[in-house]
Amino acid sequence: MTALKKPANIVGALLIALLFLYPLVGGGSRYFESVLIVCMLYAIMASGWNIISGLAGYVSLGHSVYLYIGMYTGAILGKMWGVPPMYLMVLGGVVAAAIAIVVGFITLRTRSHSFVIITIAVLLLFMTIAQNWKGLTGGTDGFIVKQPEWNKDNPTTPYYYVFLALLVLTVALVAFIMRSRLGAGLVAIRNDEGKAASIGINTTLYKVTAYALSAVPFGFAGAVYAQYLGFVTPTTALAILMSVFLVLAALVGGRGTLWGPVIGGFLVWGANEASTVLAGELSARLLIMGVILILTVMFMPAGLLPTISRFVHRRKSQGSAVAFIDQASIAQTRDVAIDSIVARTGQSTDPAVPELEVKGIVKRFGGVTAVDGVSMTVERGSITGLIGPNGSGKTTLFNCMTGTFQPDEGAVILNGEDITRQKVWTRAHEGLGRTFQITRLFKSMTVLDNLVAPLEKTSVRELVAGRYSGEEVDRAREVLDFMGLAQFEGQEAAALSFGQQKLVELAQVLMLRPSIILLDEPASGINPTLIEKLASVIRRLNDAGTTVLIVEHNIPLVLSLCDRVHVLADGQVLISGTPDEIRNDPQVIEAYLGPDHMLEVNDV
Amino acid sequence: MEIVQILAFGILMGGVYALLSSGVTLIFGVLDVVNVAQGSFLVFSALLTWQIWDLTGIEPLLLIPVMGALMAFFGWIIYRGLVKRVVPQGPGMTVLLMFGVAIAMEGILNIAFGNKFKSVTPPYFTQSLQIGELVLPYPQLISGVMAAIVLVGLFFYLKLSWAGRALRASAQNKDGAALVGISSIKASSLAFAIGAMTAGVGGVLLIIMYPIYPATQYDWIAKLLGIIVLGGMGSIPGAVIASMILGISEAFAQAYIPQWSAAIFFGVILVVLLFRPEGLLGEKTREDVTT
Repeated sequence: MTALKKPANIVGALLIALLFLYPLVGGGSRYFESVLIVCMLYAIMASGWNIISGLAGYVSLGHSVYLYIGMYTGAILGKMWGVPPMYLMVLGGVVAAAIAIVVGFITLRTRSHSFVIITIAVLLLFMTIAQNWKGLTGGTDGFIVKQPEWNKDNPTTPYYYVFLALLVLTVALVAFIMRSRLGAGLVAIRNDEGKAASIGINTTLYKVTAYALSAVPFGFAGAVYAQYLGFVTPTTALAILMSVFLVLAALVGGRGTLWGPVIGGFLVWGANEASTVLAGELSARLLIMGVILILTVMFMPAGLLPTISRFVHRRKSQGSAVAFIDQASIAQTRDVAIDSIVARTGQSTDPAVPELEVKGIVKRFGGVTAVDGVSMTVERGSITGLIGPNGSGKTTLFNCMTGTFQPDEGAVILNGEDITRQKVWTRAHEGLGRTFQITRLFKSMTVLDNLVAPLEKTSVRELVAGRYSGEEVDRAREVLDFMGLAQFEGQEAAALSFGQQKLVELAQVLMLRPSIILLDEPASGINPTLIEKLASVIRRLNDAGTTVLIVEHNIPLVLSLCDRVHVLADGQVLISGTPDEIRNDPQVIEAYLGPDHMLEVNDV
Repeated sequence: MEIVQILAFGILMGGVYALLSSGVTLIFGVLDVVNVAQGSFLVFSALLTWQIWDLTGIEPLLLIPVMGALMAFFGWIIYRGLVKRVVPQGPGMTVLLMFGVAIAMEGILNIAFGNKFKSVTPPYFTQSLQIGELVLPYPQLISGVMAAIVLVGLFFYLKLSWAGRALRASAQNKDGAALVGISSIKASSLAFAIGAMTAGVGGVLLIIMYPIYPATQYDWIAKLLGIIVLGGMGSIPGAVIASMILGISEAFAQAYIPQWSAAIFFGVILVVLLFRPEGLLGEKTREDVTT
């Protein structure tokens, strides 16, 4: 990948250099300068949009509203204070970000598509306000903005360089985000949001931050653009069209890449200029842009840059197939000082306090009571099993513990602390790690990337830290080594077999330094050799002090591994005891095989 | 009395909104596609109705089944030709696709019909039904009642027919429905056709009430999308309730603070979402380990 990023960076740097030189050596054609200014404006907007919609995957269709917010902020405050709007561009950025935080907080808490829709509504809402709050905005006529002295002859070159500077700053911002843990988290959210939360990523905070940051370049550019135009007016149709253009620019160039949206901005506005010259009126341009958007989505959804780089890459890497992986070496636990990898500090180790406890959990789905008043404990340092026939409520209880569901009644207590209402990521920060029955790795990321994605806490320092900074990577390598997965480090997660993915997912959870690991059917769908290896990994982790709770259908595995087993039936705890007690209990046999079986046994 | 009058207006308009938005929410429920082109479908049907009326002088209400069938066919083509291929790429890309369709259609309609307001004015256009002090203009009354009839028909179709049950099954669990023999492609085609059909019917109803030109698609799509978010994405009863809220709040805003009516509706949506992020009747996405 690094080899591929370089050509794009060279193209990008070349583009910036050419833009810098053009007014100096190009004779300074006003027309071309003005066209390039709009190209740069679209490149700035498409790059900003890329932060929320490219990296995090939340498509915003009304993002041009933040340009208008920047324009009006600059123009209105400029009028009140007698200052040219351009000098207020920082305020434009601040106001845009502030409004984005409010909108983001309202709409980004769910994972649904309402976000897409609300972004359109926000644009129209803002336009309605701008058209009707005549005292502030001048209504539909808008108003003329204050110009500085030097603007008497309407020069274009100063604006040209201001937009160029904003473009460079925007690209730098996006590059910084892409390299930070924030960026890694956003990509994780795009891949699988529920999973991201389970490894400690505060998804709401990440999304709102990304949304606010994506509005900042719009706000800056808006204040400058207002002065460049010389007036502000609310034109809804124009604002929507602008959103179309900038989305198209990012999409054509390649969303999620650094330079794609920049190049897309030049291509799309260039094409628009050309079609204005050729086709003239707006209707034909609408048709052309609509058709280009349809064709791009259908035939080049990744965008120009990724498509080209994939083509180049394929040429280069022909023949270098995935190395054959020696199955036998997988999960051969190495003698790594595991305690130091997974040890958790600063937590109560009082053995009297259970690691995890649930009290009177009730969870109903409509008329079905899936879990009906379950109380149980997972002792500190134990390997505890949770078994029960299908439909007994195991998975629902498990989901209440991990925070996927909120129980209707009852409490979940981790290390003596009530976590019933806590978010999934907070539970992860407090030492509760989980795996999934069907693995949910970030498929497009490498194994190492998957391992450095988890976050032990949320802090500004963590957000801005580099993706591969500090001892994070060393620790990830140690964990991989411990699991016997070292040779997979650079593989894409999707290339691994299901069993291997299960081990990688466990390795990923270890990065959280969990005090308790909840394993959801770890043995389902993997071969017996791998099950053995998994069991030995679990034992070693347990020896190092990690508590383990296993939900599993493989009864022999549970009975051989666990210190204590809880059996659920019909949403209630049927019996709790040692594996020996469970093995011989008639109630358990009845729960699994049904009362008829017992009758037959009795008859005989 | 004034309040009753305003309420009556609001409910009639709410009925029209309910028909249009249930089309959008049905498509979303079955396909996970946000059809942002519904507004342009609507305008297309309205302008076509205008054209036929302008040429022949036919009673526009007679065109309801024609436009419904025509748009259903149109929706079916859009699904088979475009949407089906993009669905595997996820909801973000289908929304961009439909955005492209909306923009392209606006361009075509601009070229075909010009960027001017068109309205259909049958004889009853300016007449009203008077019940005591209550004055109900015929265009609003007819549109509201017709929308309600089509909506009730649609409701029973979804509730009672085999195809309707298949659609609802597919909306709840695609893989499960496929296992019992419901082709997800066929269910999706049907949902898209029905969604577009509501736009076809709605287009006729709108053009006897309001002047329409191609760019009015934005106002309509914004309202419809707002309604389905407020009602809960994918929920038809939710869409009906939200439509009534929009219709009535708009009627009151029209009466007292006309220029702010759009802002008030979007304001209501934002406040509701603050407390119920999943919408009024929306279900929280059940995220099970097995799905």
